[in-house]
Amino acid sequence: MKKIGFILLILLACFTVAQFFGPDPENISGEKSHSRSKLLTNVPDHVENILRNSCFDCHSSQPDLSWFDRITPANYLVASHIREGREALDFSKWDSLPTPQQNAKLYYALNKVLAGEMPLPSYTLLHRDAELTTEEIRTLKTYINSLTPRKYAERETKTMENKPPEMLPPGKKDTGIAPSPNGINYVPGYRDWKVISTTDRFDNGSMRIIYANDIAVEAIRSGHTNPWPDGSIFAKTAWKQQPVKDGVVRTGDFIQVEFMIKDSRKYRDTKGWGWARWRGDNLAPYGENKNFAEECITCHRPVENSDYVFTTPLNPAIFTKPE
Amino acid sequence: MKTLKLIFLLSITWLTGCSFSPSNINTDASVSTEDRLPENPLAEKAITSSINPAKGTMSTLYGNQTAYAYAGANRDKQYPKGSILFEVTWKQKADSLWFGANIPREIFSVERVFFPEKGKPVYELYIGNPLRKKAEPVQSVKRLAFILSENMAPSP
Ligand code: HEC
Ligand code: HEC
Repeated sequence: MKKIGFILLILLACFTVAQFFGPDPENISGEKSHSRSKLLTNVPDHVENILRNSCFDCHSSQPDLSWFDRITPANYLVASHIREGREALDFSKWDSLPTPQQNAKLYYALNKVLAGEMPLPSYTLLHRDAELTTEEIRTLKTYINSLTPRKYAERETKTMENKPPEMLPPGKKDTGIAPSPNGINYVPGYRDWKVISTTDRFDNGSMRIIYANDIAVEAIRSGHTNPWPDGSIFAKTAWKQQPVKDGVVRTGDFIQVEFMIKDSRKYRDTKGWGWARWRGDNLAPYGENKNFAEECITCHRPVENSDYVFTTPLNPAIFTKPE
Repeated sequence: MKTLKLIFLLSITWLTGCSFSPSNINTDASVSTEDRLPENPLAEKAITSSINPAKGTMSTLYGNQTAYAYAGANRDKQYPKGSILFEVTWKQKADSLWFGANIPREIFSVERVFFPEKGKPVYELYIGNPLRKKAEPVQSVKRLAFILSENMAPSP
């Protein structure tokens, strides 16, 4: 019995000493700011306060931590959350971002909340009040929606030449287009594939057509889409929304095309999909290095139970309605 | 003890995802056997798409092979005979997986434009749930003009 008491005593001593050595989670980068000053200059206070209360602890230079966050070993975990959190999204740098990027960040942030990924569940376990209420979510939705109203032009803005640009024929091997940094080659001919959905992205003023190759279409027809079979390919093309007369919005300039190519073995390290994106009229491959797909996967994570695919596809074949 | 073990094993199987997830298809937005259409437009190729925010609709212009090939090389809309265009219009719904997007909810109408051997293009309207041909569609002149004003969406 005496032995146990002794061990406990040693542990307590270690614990006490450790308190002097752990990281100070509030001062990760040495730019600790005690003031609760406004960080998001163009955002109304009632919206900023919601973000401050639920997100700033890990996503700004103004964390407001509880006493238990500072205790070693908890502070190690908290400090790592803040370091990684600020790497992913730092509200302290808000004012230096151009407006379209600010809008994209807000939409992305709200979608991470709606998907239940943010604030980190391990954090809300102890910080109950950081969890967003239905009312707070509604406030965020209303505000964020108001940032991207659709603007109508009276006349068509672009003059068109009489001939559309020439498209690369399907199956062409030597496309002359540089491969994606992860080694994936451009896939010409996707415009001949079946359309499985269209999206109206009013958050960033774009519109998309999502195409599927024959293997994916057959999987839809036979009802075997989760997981999608190897060989399935999706292509998603984005255009700028171009408002014209009568309130109609048409496809404007080409923005980019993105691919997801299923091969559960070859692409084992990236959730079974090969990810690639080419931007602009000259189809410049996207990504700084071969790990760029982490960005794709992080945003697609809320749909990991649907094999990382967002789209609920149309059935390009006629289906029989159940009685 | 045996039942306990069984329950334990079963829950492990369930938790590790051996369970089968049903496919998720947007059938409301697809064509079914109850619709009366001469062809299935969703099996054709897409020329472009458009949105009408005030009406909460989105449309895709499809063409059969003849029309699609022509639209890919010309913008003068002198579609050769045998061309068929389909303007498929969906009512939109908010994307439940992405705040900031609208996606197709259900087919609202299919407009079919056929280019016969001789004479003017023929406009037909299919509407309702299930889709049925409308006898004398109003605004057919205006709608035909709109459909013929659509160009192939540009892509390199
Ligand atoms: C306890 C710390 C913590 C809190 C509180 C927190 N986050 Fe995060 N957040 C993180 C960490 C760590 C990451 C990076 C790793 C990851 O994606 O899981 C992150 C990543 C993100 C990302 C970017 C995902 C990526 O990597 O592209 C967004 C957006 C985000 N958080 C939004 C929010 C919002 C909005 C809130 C408040 C409602 C919030 N977070 C609250 C820790 C936190
Ligand atoms: C900020 C979030 C985000 C990022 C980052 C992202 N995606 Fe997506 N992706 C989406 C959403 C949302 C959809 C659903 C369609 C839509 O709304 O455009 C989608 C759909 C797709 C589709 C169509 C199949 C499907 O899942 O529905 C492809 C292909 C695709 N993305 C490829 C990529 C590639 C490649 C990257 C990285 C280079 C990437 N995505 C990065 C959000 C994202």
